[in-house]
Amino acid sequence: MSEEDLHALVGHRLPGGTRTIEHWENWLLTDCTGSDQLGDDLVHPVALFHVPIQGAGTSIAELFELCGARGAGSVGLDGYDWEYFAPLREGVRYQIDGSVTEVERTVSEQTGRIADRFVYTIEMIDPDGVLIARVTNHWRIRR
Amino acid sequence: MTEVKIGTKVPSWTMEHVDAQRMKTMAAILRDPYEVHWDHEAVRPLGFDRVINQGPLNLSYLANMLMAWQGASCVRRLNVRFTLPVFEGDKLIAHGTVIDLEQVAGEHRATCDVHLDRGKETVMVGTAVVALDQAVSS
Repeated sequence: MSEEDLHALVGHRLPGGTRTIEHWENWLLTDCTGSDQLGDDLVHPVALFHVPIQGAGTSIAELFELCGARGAGSVGLDGYDWEYFAPLREGVRYQIDGSVTEVERTVSEQTGRIADRFVYTIEMIDPDGVLIARVTNHWRIRR
Repeated sequence: MTEVKIGTKVPSWTMEHVDAQRMKTMAAILRDPYEVHWDHEAVRPLGFDRVINQGPLNLSYLANMLMAWQGASCVRRLNVRFTLPVFEGDKLIAHGTVIDLEQVAGEHRATCDVHLDRGKETVMVGTAVVALDQAVSS
């Protein structure tokens, strides 16, 4: 991917859509974390990785394609910034929208190898129009 | 309930054994096509012989620590950086320390330095904001 093409990604809007977190999904997700089940329809906080992506009408595979990731070892996680304005709950239909917000190309002085920072932000809104959560994820794509 | 102050240590939370089977389930839930999480053949060219844990699962251990401390709906913000990969079989311990206290819209909150350790190595570091169940003093 050229540097020009990389910078053209900023502002790219994800399709958007809605997403409901089902009980079975939350149960399995919570089990994967090693936690006891939370109860009271509460969704485990780690759902803020895949639910925003899927609800915004895309997928991890499509995001890899968008940022030009190729093969094992090409994608690294730099960090996450996840904000919870209210707890997530099972059975609620959230409106979800997001976009690519930042990119940056870096070149290693030692090896000359290129690595691109790729940042996207997605928001979740409940049926009353209240902002429930916002995620900003930072990936590093090794070229 | 114990009073929360700046400097209070969050009770640590331990993942005794990162389980490759859980990574497979997680990959299916996430619809994550990145084979380093479930295919040993994919990680060997990278110089590893164990599959790599998903970043969200690493973060979940910090969330579990916070929820065990202040309740299942306490998490208000998680801001973390990944510093090292985590592999199947690793033992991880989540730690936290209160660095600030504030009141937002009538809710008492604590900001905590948090980190996830494998032995003497830190694999994830950051800050977390949690709502507190009780009034605090600084």
